Amino acid sequence: MPSDLDRQIEQLMRCEPISEEEVKRLCIKAREILVEEANVQAVDSPVTICGDIHGQFWDMMELFKVGGACPDTNYLFMGDFVDRGFYSVETFLLLLALKVRYPERMTLIRGNHESRQITQVYGFYDECQRKYGSSNVWRWCCEVFDYLALGAVVDGRVFCVHGGLSPNLQGIDQIRAIDRKQEVPHDGPMCDLLWSDPDEITGWGLSPRGAGFLFGADIAKAFAHHNAIDLVARAHQLAMEGFKLMFDQTIVTVWSAPNYCYRCGNVAAVLELDEHLMQEYKVFQHAPADVRSIPAKRPPADYFL
Amino acid sequence: MDPGFSADEIAPIAILMDELRSEDVQLRLNAIHRISTIALALGPDRAREELIPFLQDSVDDEDEVLLALAEELGRNFEEYIGGSEHAHLLLGPLENLSAVEETLVRDKAAESITKISANLSQAQIEQYYIPLVQRLSRGEWFTSRTSACALYHPVYDKVSPQVQDDLRRGFASLGSDDTPMVRRASAKWLGSLIKKLSKQHVLNEGLTIYRRLQGDDQDSVRLLTVEDMIAIAQQLSPAEVKEQLLKQIRQSMADKSWRVRYMSASHFNELAEAVGQDLVREELIGHYVQLLKDNEAEVRTAAAGQIPGFSKLLDKEVILLRVIPCVRDLCQDTSQHVRAAVANQIAGLAPLLGKDATIEHLLPLFLHLLKDEFPEVRLNIISKLETVNKVIGIELLSESLLPAIIELAEDKSWRVRQAIIEYVPLLATQLGKPFFDEQLGNLCMSWLGDNVYSIREAATVNLKKLTEVFGVEWAKVQIVPKVIGMGQHPTYLFRMTTVQAITTIAPVLTLDIVKGEIIDTLLQLGQDPIPNIRFNVAKSLEVLATTFGTNPQGKQLVEQKIAPMLDAQQKDSDADVRFFASKALQQVHALGA
Repeated sequence: MPSDLDRQIEQLMRCEPISEEEVKRLCIKAREILVEEANVQAVDSPVTICGDIHGQFWDMMELFKVGGACPDTNYLFMGDFVDRGFYSVETFLLLLALKVRYPERMTLIRGNHESRQITQVYGFYDECQRKYGSSNVWRWCCEVFDYLALGAVVDGRVFCVHGGLSPNLQGIDQIRAIDRKQEVPHDGPMCDLLWSDPDEITGWGLSPRGAGFLFGADIAKAFAHHNAIDLVARAHQLAMEGFKLMFDQTIVTVWSAPNYCYRCGNVAAVLELDEHLMQEYKVFQHAPADVRSIPAKRPPADYFL
Repeated sequence: MDPGFSADEIAPIAILMDELRSEDVQLRLNAIHRISTIALALGPDRAREELIPFLQDSVDDEDEVLLALAEELGRNFEEYIGGSEHAHLLLGPLENLSAVEETLVRDKAAESITKISANLSQAQIEQYYIPLVQRLSRGEWFTSRTSACALYHPVYDKVSPQVQDDLRRGFASLGSDDTPMVRRASAKWLGSLIKKLSKQHVLNEGLTIYRRLQGDDQDSVRLLTVEDMIAIAQQLSPAEVKEQLLKQIRQSMADKSWRVRYMSASHFNELAEAVGQDLVREELIGHYVQLLKDNEAEVRTAAAGQIPGFSKLLDKEVILLRVIPCVRDLCQDTSQHVRAAVANQIAGLAPLLGKDATIEHLLPLFLHLLKDEFPEVRLNIISKLETVNKVIGIELLSESLLPAIIELAEDKSWRVRQAIIEYVPLLATQLGKPFFDEQLGNLCMSWLGDNVYSIREAATVNLKKLTEVFGVEWAKVQIVPKVIGMGQHPTYLFRMTTVQAITTIAPVLTLDIVKGEIIDTLLQLGQDPIPNIRFNVAKSLEVLATTFGTNPQGKQLVEQKIAPMLDAQQKDSDADVRFFASKALQQVHALGA
């Protein structure tokens, strides 16, 4: 007999939101699981690594069609589940429900959009208001955001983080010392992990985003060497081809929102690591129109880009 | 507050009014959506005397709230105010809503007025509804006149002939309104009114309104008259159409604005069916060919969508002579959307042309489109092949298309590959074993190693269907060894496919094959280092147990091999393995093992 949670997963798979009461219980349960996880969660291969989703629910379903369903495939999502797309609520709750149902098969780490401030500007807050008529769901989700891990390491050799590196952090062990259970700060190491970008520079540079830093090949390679890792996998930046390797394949950007904002025309990708950590990038396109369905009601104001 | 009411009686309306005056839009919106509850609490009398006048004055709000109000009032709201004899009271607030600036609100208000009109008596209509229409039609601001256009047709056949005369006159003046928005609305609703008019009135008055709109300066008005034209043609005899409408038909088909031609093209079949055979042959075929050759890709796409529907009205010779050459050109069109539209429709010509002509004229086009660089074109052709099948037989189809199909089996787009896989069992039934093994056997196995999960999944389902077609012995030789072989692969995805293929195929295999060829590999995979494989083995064992565990020999397999494995898995280090193992064991125990 299917449990309540299995039923909720089924419902969310059809892109139907679950009740406010169910969200509340799900969030409490998720927090109990997440609080036990380390700032940098250890993950075993094989695992499929995914980048930004941004509420593009039907495109995430496309991702599962290409990569396989959870729990048969292990997934690691590198943040930015919400904002901008039409279905942030369903997208995040589905991922969270899968996390609670199969904690060993699903890893979620925090992106810069998993924050109270950002979601109030870029759509998740408004979507919760519209779909539930109150801000409760948004509040509970934000409390879960505070418990999400800041990064993950696959088999000790692939470091995964939403944004990038920080001048204040040389070693992965230093990340473990952060008290992560808080709103994303405006600066400091925790902020940098979620906001920084790699760039064709030497050393560190100022980020045009106003948070985090730019870092060059030398920094990335030193970090990889120092921590004995093969690869840094991160998301955070649109890659038109779905993924972008940089710095002699020391770092890769994985982007999993095809046709970003329903208009960028990009393809998306996930990175499959098999049990030998062989990398395979699976590229996929946005869901075809007959699957996609855009809400009949007028979408909220344009918060594009 | 009126001291005559007790606190309890005042409460509902007081709360509503409080919420309606709230700063928070969401609260106001919630209040509106609960308005029928409030009306119920008030009772019909007070709902009429207090609630309705209150609503009538509350049009100064956010559009979202007004939209909700317009909608709620159309949801059989008369039930809450004392039944249909009072329904006309609802017209008051809706009349105000019909005049606001936001189009969505006005449209919803007009829709609700139309719904309410169905419950009004003739007296109510003539006393309340008609004056409302007249007020809106004479409104100073274009918004109310626009709404008025939608309100003529619902009541036309419910009023006396004198009032009908007034209505036609009123609508005619909206049709020549100064504002294009109003003329657009009248063009949009003229067709609905025409359907209610007597033929004489269509000829004398409807045509005049139509002709004026059809000749409008604005293309946004003219394009809406295409549907009016069809409504009129449906009312008239073919001879009358020819006499009265031919000039306008020609103008709409060749309008200088592509948007008008697009409308004509996308409604072509409806028009063709309305005007009768003669005019189709003499006149429309020529226009149709022109639309298929139009300069604008959008027009060609719309026209291509009508190919089989329109061709049904033509003789075979005419199709071959006039339509086919155009179709041939469209298959080479520079726009991928045009080619996709043709690909979607071209199969529909096969039943009309019959076997020989399909082979001669359509088959080369199929082959061409199957090689199109745009995946949607290829997909559209494949998904309609069954229609062609029925006409020319699978043998010929597969003979000529097989090379193309094999090429598509490795297509870049996984949805194309999926469409091909779904087509394979049908091909298999027709091709027979030897030919199939030679041509498609390897392909079917290679899909198991596809890098897209959905294709691997479809591939296992395909193998099951093939087993049903060719029989268990064939599967034992052709499928099982290859599937089992993949279980030794160093990459876990292949081993996973082995497990999932076993789960899918096992129900159509025999116990002997399971015991002889499958179970040992499966048990070995039950101890795989990857937990995902181990719990899929548990799922697979559950299927084997429920499929075969009902007979004595199968029971032996369950007791000796399946149950011990699941018992061991219940002590696995991974929680999901333990979960699926105990779920499977429950099933095994339920069998009474």
